[in-house]
Amino acid sequence: MKSKSTALFLILTVLCLILSCSIWAINPPRNEMLIADILTGKVGNPGNFNYWATWVGNDKGLQQLILDPLWMADYVTGEIINVLAKTNPIYTDGFTKLTVNLREGIFWSDGVEFTADDVVYTVKLCMDTPGFGYHTQFNQNIKRVYKTDDYTVVFELKKANSRFHYQLLDRWGTCRILPKHIFEKVKDPLSFQFNPPIGTGPYKLVEYDLGGYWFLYERREDWQRTATGMLYGKPAPKYVKFIYYGDAAKKAMAQINHQLDMADLTPESLQVVLAKNKHARGYYKDFPLAELLHPCVTGAAFNTLVKPFDNREVRWALNLALDAKSLALTAYNGAVAFSPAYIPALLPYYETYYERLQPWLEEYTIEVDGERYKPYNPNLPFEMAEAARERGYAVPETEQEIRKMFGYGWWKHSPDLAEKLLKKNGFTRNSNGKWLLPDGTPWKIELVCLTSATNPSFKWAFAIANQWQEFGIDCEARPTEQVESLTETGDYQVVGGQPAAEPFGAGIDLYRAFHEFKSSYFKPIGEKRVGHQSRWVHQDLDRIIEKMENTGYNDPEVIDLGIEAAKILIHGQPGVSLASFPGFMGLDTYYWRNYPGGENPYAVPWYHWPNFKFILPFLEPTGRK
Amino acid sequence: MVFKKYFIPRFIQYITVLLIGITMVFIIPRLLPSDPVEHQLNRMTAQGQYLDPAAVEEMRETLQELYGLKGGLFQQYLIYWKRLCTGNLGPSFTQFPTPVIELIKTSLPWTVGLLLVSLMLSWLIGTILGGIKVSFPNSLLTRFMEVFAMGMRPIPYYIMALVLLIVLAFVFPVFPMAGGYSMGAEIGFNFKFLLDLLRHAFLPILSMVMLEIGGWFLQMRNVASNIVEEDYVVYAEASGLPRRKVILHYIMRNALIPQITGLALNLGFIFGGALITEIVFSYPGIGNLLYSAILAGDYNLIMGINIFSIVGVSTAMLVIDLIYPLLDPRVRYQ
Repeated sequence: MKSKSTALFLILTVLCLILSCSIWAINPPRNEMLIADILTGKVGNPGNFNYWATWVGNDKGLQQLILDPLWMADYVTGEIINVLAKTNPIYTDGFTKLTVNLREGIFWSDGVEFTADDVVYTVKLCMDTPGFGYHTQFNQNIKRVYKTDDYTVVFELKKANSRFHYQLLDRWGTCRILPKHIFEKVKDPLSFQFNPPIGTGPYKLVEYDLGGYWFLYERREDWQRTATGMLYGKPAPKYVKFIYYGDAAKKAMAQINHQLDMADLTPESLQVVLAKNKHARGYYKDFPLAELLHPCVTGAAFNTLVKPFDNREVRWALNLALDAKSLALTAYNGAVAFSPAYIPALLPYYETYYERLQPWLEEYTIEVDGERYKPYNPNLPFEMAEAARERGYAVPETEQEIRKMFGYGWWKHSPDLAEKLLKKNGFTRNSNGKWLLPDGTPWKIELVCLTSATNPSFKWAFAIANQWQEFGIDCEARPTEQVESLTETGDYQVVGGQPAAEPFGAGIDLYRAFHEFKSSYFKPIGEKRVGHQSRWVHQDLDRIIEKMENTGYNDPEVIDLGIEAAKILIHGQPGVSLASFPGFMGLDTYYWRNYPGGENPYAVPWYHWPNFKFILPFLEPTGRK
Repeated sequence: MVFKKYFIPRFIQYITVLLIGITMVFIIPRLLPSDPVEHQLNRMTAQGQYLDPAAVEEMRETLQELYGLKGGLFQQYLIYWKRLCTGNLGPSFTQFPTPVIELIKTSLPWTVGLLLVSLMLSWLIGTILGGIKVSFPNSLLTRFMEVFAMGMRPIPYYIMALVLLIVLAFVFPVFPMAGGYSMGAEIGFNFKFLLDLLRHAFLPILSMVMLEIGGWFLQMRNVASNIVEEDYVVYAEASGLPRRKVILHYIMRNALIPQITGLALNLGFIFGGALITEIVFSYPGIGNLLYSAILAGDYNLIMGINIFSIVGVSTAMLVIDLIYPLLDPRVRYQ
C-alpha cells in the first residue's frame, strides 16, 4: 500500500512538472514584445475583424494597430492629426462640399497602394449596406462621393453641414477606411469576417486565441509605407500582444510578474502593483498616479423630467450639498481634476474654455430670500493640494501646475445655502432631520450606477449618495446592469455617470458634446433616447447650438459659443458635473520605457485608443531579457 | 413490446418537456429590460459613432429589420420554430451577423472538455474512495479523504479557485494565468498541443475536482454504509465469499445506482457552462458567452445556448430512465 502511494505521488509530481513546462510554446522574445490589456474584455467573436459590420472587439488591436482613419483626435495635445488625409478637411460652397486630400505613398499590409478609390469605395459600401455602422449617417448626408484624382476625394452633401467630417474623425471610433481590393470580391460584406485583416496601420495580425483572450501582431517590414511610420517613425516593439487576463486583481498579478506592460487598474490594485513591482508606475510616477485629464466629464445626471429634479433650484441644492474635496478624497484619494462646466478638464480646454470661464464662475450668483451668494470655490485646487500634502504626497507648488492637476475649481460645500433653496421650494425636515418633499412625504433618492467598481459611475454614485445621506436625504446608490435601458426610457431619478456627452477633446469645437441638448431631439419619458440621460433642454441653448451649426468647426467664434453654452448648462445644472474621468493605468517599465505620462504627456496614453499606434515609435526597449 | 410500452410515454414526456422548455426560452429573454437593438445603438455611440436622433431612429428601424424583431410576438415565435426545425438558431445580435451556432461551436468544446473531464474525475475518485471508505473504514487514506471532503465542502468555490490561481499561477508561476492554450501552439490533434491544453486546463479542472469530489465521496459513503448493513451483504459475508467480491458486487454495485443518476444529471448540466471557473481562470467557454448575451439582451444567443442545455438535461433524464432497468434489477420495463 505504501509503495503504491509513493508511486502515485511520483506520477503526479512528474505530471505536474510536464504540465508546468512551457517549452512547447513558441513565444516571441519578451524584450521584443509589448503586452497590453484588452480593456473591454474577452472578445466574443475573435475571428471576425469586419469592423464596419459589427462589434468585433475593436480594442483587440484592430483599431490600435491595423486600421487607420482619415483624421485622428489627440486630446492630450489638442491636435487633429492628419492620418490618411494629408490636410485638414476643406469645406466649400457653404459647407455643402468637402474635399479630402489624401496622403501619398501609403500601402495596405498586403502590398496594394492606398488611393482615393479605397475611400470612395468605403463610403459607397457603407451607404449600400444596411447594417454597416455608418450606413444611416452617410445616407443622411451624402449626395455624391467621387474622386478627382488618385489622392483627392470630394463629398457633395445633401445640405450644409459644417461638421460632416466628424464621421471620419477618429475618437475611439469613426468610419475607418477599408481595402477596396479585398471587399469588392466579397458577396456579402455584412457576414464577411475580414480575416486576416488587411490594414494601412503599421502592424499585421500573426495569431489569435480561438477563445478570444489574446491577439498577437507583428510590425510590418514596410512600416515606412504607413501613416504612423511617415508621421512618427519606426514603431519600437516588433510584436504587440493584446491579452485579457481578467479583473483588476488578475491584471495586477500579471503586471507584478512582468507579463503585462500596460493595464487599466483600480486605484487599489495599482497601489498593490506599485508596492510589489519596483519597475511599475502609474500615469504619474507619484501622486496622483492617475491620468486625470480625459475627454469625458463624469459625476451624475438628474432625470429632469421627474419631480423634484425638474426644479432647477433643487438640482442646484443637491450640487451645493456636496463637499467636492471630500468626494474626491473618498472616491479617488484626491486624484481628481474638477470640471464644473460640463466640459472635461483637459489641457487643450483649460486655456480655451476654463480660463475664460473662471471670472464668470467666480462672479456667478445665486439669490435666495433676497440674499446673494457666490457658490464657486476657485481655491479648491489649492485645498486639494494641501489635503494631498497632508496625506504625505508630493504635490506641485506653482499655481499653474496645481490648476493643471486639479482643475480650476468647483462649487463650495454650502449645506446652508442648499437648505435655504430647498425650503424656498417647499421642502421641510422632519423631527429626525430627514428631508421631506413639499407634499410631506419622505424624500428618497435612488442613484443608479454601473456595476463595474473601476468606473466613475460606480465610484461617484456611492460617494455622492453618502453625502446626500449626511445632508438628510434618504439616498441609496444602486448598481445595476440595466443602467442603459433605465436611462434610455427615463425610468430613473439620478444616474452616476456622464452629465454631458463627450467632446472630441481636440480642436476648439464642443458641438459633439452639446448638440445632444437640442430640444428637437427631445423625447418624453417612456420613449427611448440614446445619449442624453438628463433630457434637459433649454431654448437659449438651442439658439447657441444652431449658431454652432452655422459656424465652421474651426472658426474661433465656436469658442465663444461653447462658453455661452457652458454658462447656460451651469445655470440649468442638469447634473453634477464633477470631474474628468480619472484613469488608473499601470505601466511596467521592466521591458519598455518612455510611455506617455504626467511628466511627459506627448500623446494619448491609452492602449485601447486608436492613437496607440502613435505611441509605439516613442517607446524604448530597456534591454532586459 | 414491453420496452415499447415503457419507452413511448417517456418519449412523449421528453418531447413535451422540450417543447415547453424551448418555448420558455423564447419568452423569458423578451421579458428582460435589456433590448438588443438599444444595446447595439448604445455600443455604436460608445464606440465613437456620431449619431443624431434622426439617425438613431433610422438605425433602430434598420436593426429591428435585420434582427428579425419586427412584427408581433406570435409571428416571431413561428419564425423561430421554422428556423429551429432547419437547425438554424439565427444570428447573434451582439455579434451580428455571426450565426449563433458558430459562437456556440467556438465556445462549447472548451466547456464540454473542461466540465466533462472534471466531472468524470471527481465522480470516479469520489465514488471509488467513498466505496473504499465503507469497506476499509480505518484506512489512513480514507480517513484523510473523509476529513478532506468534509473540509472542502463548505469552502466557497470562488475563494478556492482564487487561492489555487494565486498559489500556482502567481506566487509559483507554474501554470498559466489565463487562456485555453499557449500563443504559438500548433493547433491540432498532436501530443504537444494536447499537453498544452491540459496545462491550461489543469487549474480549472483541479479547482472543480477538489470541490466536487467531496460531494460524490460523501454520497457514496452514505449510501454504501447503509448497504453494508443490508441482509444480503451480511449473508454474503457469512457465506464466506471473498471480501473483494462482497465489496465490488454486493456493496459498490448497489451503491452506484444513485451515483449514476447524479452523474447523468450532471452531464446534462454541462451545457450550462461554468461561469465562475471561466471568470476566475479566464478560461474560454459557454458560461461567459451566456452571461454577456443576457446582459445585452441577445435573444437568439440566449435561446441557442439554453436549447443545448434543455436538450442536454432532458436527454440525460430520458437515458437514465431507459438504462435504469439494466442497472437495477428491481426496476423492469413495465
